[in-house]
Parts: sequence; structure tokens; C-alpha cells
Amino acid sequence: MPVFPGTNSEDETLRLLRDCGADAEIVHWSQASKMAHYDAYVLSGGFAYEDRIRAGAIAAHDRMMDYVIEAAGSGRLIFGICNGAQMLLEAGLVPGTGAIRRPTAAFTRNGPAPHFICRHVYMKLAIEPARCAITASLREDALVPAWAAHAEGRLAATPEHLSEIVAGGHLAFVYANANGSVDEAAIPNGSALGCAGLVNREGNVLAIMPHPERDAWNFNHLDRREGDDVLAPSGGSVLFSSFVQALAS
Amino acid sequence: MVNLRDEELQRIAERLGRDPSVVELHAFDAAWSEHCSYKSSRHFLRNLPTSGPRVVLGPGEDAGLLHLGTHDGERYAIVVAHESHNHPSQVVPFEGAATGVGGIVRDVLCMGAEVVAVADPLRFGRCDDLASHQSHVARGVVDGIGAYGNAIGVPNIAGDVYFERGFNENCLVNVVALGIVNEKDVIHSYVPKGAQGWQIVLVGKATDPSGFGGASFSSLALDARDAELNKGAVQVPDPFFKNVLMRASYRVFALLRERKVAAAFKDLGAGGIVGCSAEVTAHGGYGAEIDLDKVNVAVEGMPPEVIAVGETQERMLWVVPPDFVPELLQIYNEEFGLPDVAYNARATAIGEVTAQQQYVLRYRGGIVMEVESEFLTGSIHDELPYTERIYHGAAAQELPALDLQGIFPRVLAHRDVCSREPLYRRYDSVVRGCTVLPRGAADAGVLAPVPGSRLGVALAVAGNPRYGRIDPAYAAEQAVLEAMRRVVAVGAHPIGLTDCLNFGNPRKAEQYGGFIAAVEALGRAAKELDLPFVSGNVSLYNEASDGRAIPASAIVACIGSIDDVAKVVTPGFKAAGSALLWIGSRELVAGGSVLAELLGVKGTLPSIEYEAERAALAIVRDAIARGVLRACRVVTDGGMLTAIARLVFDALTEGRKIGAEIDFGNPLCEAGGFVCEVAPDSGMDVTGTLQIGVTIDALELIVNGTRFDIEHLHEVWSRPLAALYP
Repeated sequence: MPVFPGTNSEDETLRLLRDCGADAEIVHWSQASKMAHYDAYVLSGGFAYEDRIRAGAIAAHDRMMDYVIEAAGSGRLIFGICNGAQMLLEAGLVPGTGAIRRPTAAFTRNGPAPHFICRHVYMKLAIEPARCAITASLREDALVPAWAAHAEGRLAATPEHLSEIVAGGHLAFVYANANGSVDEAAIPNGSALGCAGLVNREGNVLAIMPHPERDAWNFNHLDRREGDDVLAPSGGSVLFSSFVQALAS
Repeated sequence: MVNLRDEELQRIAERLGRDPSVVELHAFDAAWSEHCSYKSSRHFLRNLPTSGPRVVLGPGEDAGLLHLGTHDGERYAIVVAHESHNHPSQVVPFEGAATGVGGIVRDVLCMGAEVVAVADPLRFGRCDDLASHQSHVARGVVDGIGAYGNAIGVPNIAGDVYFERGFNENCLVNVVALGIVNEKDVIHSYVPKGAQGWQIVLVGKATDPSGFGGASFSSLALDARDAELNKGAVQVPDPFFKNVLMRASYRVFALLRERKVAAAFKDLGAGGIVGCSAEVTAHGGYGAEIDLDKVNVAVEGMPPEVIAVGETQERMLWVVPPDFVPELLQIYNEEFGLPDVAYNARATAIGEVTAQQQYVLRYRGGIVMEVESEFLTGSIHDELPYTERIYHGAAAQELPALDLQGIFPRVLAHRDVCSREPLYRRYDSVVRGCTVLPRGAADAGVLAPVPGSRLGVALAVAGNPRYGRIDPAYAAEQAVLEAMRRVVAVGAHPIGLTDCLNFGNPRKAEQYGGFIAAVEALGRAAKELDLPFVSGNVSLYNEASDGRAIPASAIVACIGSIDDVAKVVTPGFKAAGSALLWIGSRELVAGGSVLAELLGVKGTLPSIEYEAERAALAIVRDAIARGVLRACRVVTDGGMLTAIARLVFDALTEGRKIGAEIDFGNPLCEAGGFVCEVAPDSGMDVTGTLQIGVTIDALELIVNGTRFDIEHLHEVWSRPLAALYP
């Protein structure tokens, strides 16, 4: 897990990865050379480099990202959450519709109100589970609980490019209501296509805006039931479990 | 500008045997300001109870500590700090509020703790006119708190907000912060025995001219005419830098534990380098010698007094044994690369601890300050006249016959009752992944702060300005009661309190009298309920340009412990057919209520009876222990019916469509207590409770025969603040 100046969600992301069985550790920005030897990379949330220019824009050019870009090219798994997702878009790894790596879309300033929003959401899987290695163990139409917590999470791209995102099967997750229905009310940030997550063409790079790791243990759930083991992973952890299973196979 | 009074200047000159230097003048100006010295409040605050079995550390250092519980054989404490940033927020709302969060977070951090939560009690003026200055303040403050807390990654789990005319020219921005620390790893705010020769290391941003005169500025009445002039006294926030500074400090804590090295760590707040280094050494019985030329500065050529007492944000002071210095510098300057994160930021050794209790500052080869440490930092005391009894209530009037259908929607839409979601959804309430009850979900926020443990901590704040307008002492007592009830309602055991006392001008006998009466009242309530105050803050001189004080505002936060977060009472009604019990006062009086305000009548204030209060707490806790309490809310602004409506709304948010049918004399009175949903066959002893109704399988609220459509009520309640916070 690379950590940049301004990252703020590394501890809980690491904890959940480990609870789901991953052998994970944090690599600090001052130790970039350590980055080479991992099977997969998880980019966690925060405000790397203060969100200067646009969220993720500076981090996308950090030397830590050179390793991530190389790993993505060699088919290793890359999973970006919130600020991590923004970096993957700014680095051009997702949606990755073209042959050449270049940024073609952005998670940018929320709309219609241009403010930070912290709201509980559901992400609905909008692709065949096997289309993306990281979601391969989810069931079809899986609904993953999570928290949206960002000021720049609205997918923006040209209409032509949005069509390519849909046609190429890059729209990995959309915002949904608790019952799985999809409508405007479910979208917290005005995101085009109701997009909550994007996957690259090869299916090894996933970028999601909401934080499943913040609704990932039974004690996080407001609707938990009596008798549930409060310390057990559940809810949002399914996506992490799926990620760890993909790593194992 | 120095705000020392003539008699204070005289005292300084007599003690020094000479005229003070410019640097000394500014140092005393900060140290002897109300903000730093508590000169007109300290002797009253002594009467607050501050000890008890749960107290690990009472008031006196950067923050207080309460024992939370044991996990894996280790004892954990919650670190508690509470501060105000009222004056700066009125002048530059965004920066003022953001630096308020920044300051309190450092107070918690400096105890060797991880910062796990913040809460923000806010008091704004009336914001009916969205273009008014008070609306600008109300928006800027919320954005500032969000921008800071969100970036450093500390969840905002509790808080409240009131909009009162009395705050039009003087808003209140209080911030509470909590930390978690293993009790054997606490770092103190003073040097230990044997610290002679230890190094004093300044860490953080380069010192710049911002925040010069801040302590002194906070201790004056805000005069609108000087607002422009005072902007320079407000510090500049840098949450991005703080994020890195916090994480680097966590790394230092780990190394200190590993090496078993003792150290002192203290926040640079009011009074800057002098204020901090003098206190951290003097309170250990030592002196200090500081070389101002070693301080990393942002601009060359700053006068020594600015370097010495300026209040640049994001700085802290370590005092460590000399052989630990290289590793300390390596962590901040290389591993976390502070100089790359902000211009000329770093950790730098600037002086050392001396055996003589003298505080000496050197600058360009000469001595610019040399005073007895004890004289600078020791307690000073103002004897001021005050008025004994403050009560602005009028004779109670008869309430007109209640038209529930007409009035209840107006109560729900009232600015003190309506949904706070448009405001708090701008705060990250779930970062760190350990949130159990996020902001707004229930009467208190709850966290599971120790990874892998079932231990929980609950936090709630209270302080009703409608009571404060009428009777400062009564409002203070009610603040303790409400904050405590709130943590009980989520299933926690209240273990301690912290307060921020926001009052008017102590040089006006009536305003000072209100403060003194409120402190007495806080002490009474805390003693009756057996709860200690472990930290707190005083903010005086909160008055408008016409000299009128703000509504007296003793704002109280209560901390509760939870042995097993599985037992937390989750939000909203759970099932139709449950019994609804009322556990609380049956007085049908409307004094200080929203109802009384809407009807334009004066009412009697609900009485405070501690015997009944203790009995009510015992009943609620018994129901939780038996596992029969399905849902619970306390009665506050908007009365019992508002609490019931919110239990319906909470359930609806979770997808459960459950209504309620109740009968109760006047369910809009605000006499305190708990509305509880209990299983019909609970088997609990219902002595002392009153069954007021049942939950029903329909989205309706039926009250004394009057029917309300829930969706309509929810709409009415949700909307009002969306105009101010779109």
C-alpha cells in the first residue's frame, strides 16, 4: 500500500486487507524503492498532495506511481479507493479505453452542490463479476455498502468518451439504493452514468470512489442484528475478500 | 499592541528591577492574558470536581485522561480536550474554525495519543438572511471545520448548532477532540525530574508573522471596527501539513516506547515558543535557555518578539534527552520529509533545560529576555466585582390550548430542531473505519477506538442557549444533564465531562456574575451525578458591539464508556407492537422551550431533581443490560414528540416503516428524560416509567388522537438548513 503525503485512510484499509487474509504492508513515500516487489497494490483514500490542481493529479506523477503503472502493465492487480481511484484516473490507468495510457476522464468536483459530502451509499456491480479480477468472487448485481466521503467524485468525460466507457464495459459500479434500484436519488455527487467505479480494459485495475472499508465490520453497520459478531468483517469487506481471493488464484 | 494594564506593567517592572524589554512585554502580554492565565476564572474553576476512579489525569496539562477499559491486559485511556475559537471565527470564519480544530487536535496528540474523534458545538447568529454576515460566518465555520478534520483523517462524530440573535456579532466555535492511548505510554506536558541539560526541539511549520498577538486578541471584546486590524492575529491553518506531522509524531511515539525513553511534548498554542517552552520546563521545576536564531523562520528579518510569541500554527515542542535528538530529527526531517511538505518546516533543537528557574531568550548574541520562570508562568489572579443572582425569566404565563396539528410541523421546522444533516454531511464521520454511530445517527457518536477490541467510547455535547438567555446557572446544570443523558441513550456508561465556558465580559459585574454562577452550577451537577471534569476551557469577552453579552453558554461534553459495542443501542424504532415508555419528568412546563418561543409566551423552567435523574438513568441502564431496550432518544429541543418523530425517521432511513401512537398531556414540553422502545414482554420493572403508547405498523404518528403523515413531517424537518448549506 503506497502512502503519499496527505493520505489518511491507510490504517483501516490495511487492517481490513489483513482481516481478509492478505499479507499487506504500507510503503511510505520516502521509501519508494521498496515498491517494486509486490503482487498487488492498494491505493487508499485521503488528500494526497493536498488535492492540488485536482484530486490525485500530483500523486499520479509521483515516483511511487511509476511502480504502480509498471505493475498494471504487467497484469498485476491494482485497487484504488477514493483518492486512490482519483490517482488511477489521473494516471490514465482507468478507464483505459484507448491503446495509449492517458487520462481521458476525471473524478472531479461534486455536483450540483460543489461540496464535500459524507453519505452512506450502496455500490452495485454493473459488469459480469469475472470481467474484473478484483470483483470475480462477487455475485452478479452484488450490492456493496460503503461510505461516499469526498468533494471530487463526479465522473466527468466527453459524451463520446462516456459512450466508450459503457460500450467497453468499463463501468464497474454504479450507485444504487438499499434495495438495489438505480435512480438519481442514489447518486451522492452528480456522477455521470451514476458511476461509482471504473475498471480498465484488461480487468486488473479497479478504481472506486466510495469507501467499503468504512462499513466493513459488523460494528460499523447501523442495521446489525443481535448476535452478530461485532468484530467480524462483513458488508463492504466482500470486495476486499474478493480482491484477496483473486490474489491467491 | 500590548494589552497589559498599568498595574500589571508596574508589577513586572518592580519584579525585574528594570523596565521590561520589548520581547518581555509581549511575553507577559500573552502569558497574563485571560486566554492563557485564566486570571478571572481559575479560582472559581477550582471548585469543579476533577477526581474519581476513572480519572487517569485531571485538568492541568494539554488534555485530560479517562480510563476507558482493558483489552488484552492493557489499560486504555481516552484523552479529552475542549477549546473555543470564537473570536477568530467571527473575523475570518474559515481559517478561525479550521485552526480551532488544529489546535485541539494538537492538545490530544501531545499526550502521546492517536487522535480518534472531534465534535463541534456551534452557536451562530440568525441566518434568515442568507447574504448577512452571520450567514457568511455560519457557512465559513462549517467549511473550515470540515476542510481541516476531513484532511487530517479524524472523524467528526458529535456536535450541535443553535441559531440565536444573541450570537449575531459573536459566534461560538467550540471543538472537542478525543484520543486513545495506552495508559503506560502517556507523554506529559512538563519535563520529568533529571531533565537538566535535555534538549528543547521545536517541530513543525516555519515560524511566520501570522497569529502574532493571538492570545491577547482572544481576551478582548470584539469590536467590529477593529475586525480588519485583527485579521493578522488569526493563524493560518494547514491540515495537509498537520496530517503528515501527526503521522510522524505517531512514529516518534512508537520509537519512544521501543527505547523506553522519557520525554515531554507540548502544543505551541497561545504565547508561541515562549508560552510553551516556559511552561513545559517551569512545571517540571526547571528553567530554559532558548536561542531564537535557531528557530526556523518563514521570512527573514522578523523582530525577536514575533519569533518568540507569534502563534504560527502546526508547531509543537519536544523536550528529550540529548542522545535521542538525532533520531527525533531523522523521523521528522527525513523519514517524513517535513522540509519537502511545507516551506522550511522541520524539527530543530532550539535550546536546553537549565537547573536555575530562569527563562532566558537569546537573539543575535544578546539576551532579549531574562525572567524568573515562575513569575512568568505562575498563577495570577484578578479580583473583580460580580452580581450574585442572574435571572432574566419573567412570570410564567398560561399556555394556550394546544393545536398540535398546526404547531408540531412548525416545531420540527424550527431552526433549533430541524435536521442538521445539510451541515454535518460536509464532515467526514467515518474515516479511520472505527465509527459505530456516526454524526447525526443518534443522540451521541460512538467509536470502537481500539482495533480488535469491543471497547467503545461515546461522545455528546449540550448547552441550550434558550436556557442561557434566561438563567446562566440553570443552563449550565441542564447542559451537564443533557450531555450525560445523550451518552446513556446510546448504551454507554458516563465516565467524565469536559466544558467550554463561553461568557461575556468579566469586567461587567452582571456578565461576570453569570459566569461564576454557571461554574458553581456545573460543580453541583457534576457532584450530584458523580462525574469529574477532566479538561476544559474558558472564553470570556464574548459580547456584541452594544456591550451586551452572548446568551450564557456553558457547553458541556460527556464521555461514556462501552464494554462491548455489540450493546450499543442502534438508531430508530425496531418493530411494531413495542411499548413506548417515558422515563423522565412529568412536569408540563414550557419555560425555555421551542414551543414557548413559537407561541410567544413565557413559561416556568422545568425543575432539576437529581434523585429522579439518578433513578431514570438506573432504569434505562437496566433495560439495556437486560437486552430489552430496542431504541431510545432523549428529550431536548422540540420535546418528546420530536424525539418520537426522530425515532420514526431513523427507522425509515434504515428501511423500516414503523409509526407510533401515543397519549401524553403536552408532548412538546422539554422537561428532560428518555423515550424508550421496549419489547412488550420485556419483564423489566416498570416502576418509575410511564407507558405513553405503542409502535404501529404504519407510517403515521398518532398523538392524542391527532394524525400526522410521516413523509410530510420528514420533509418539513429535513428542509430548512438546506438553504444555508446547499
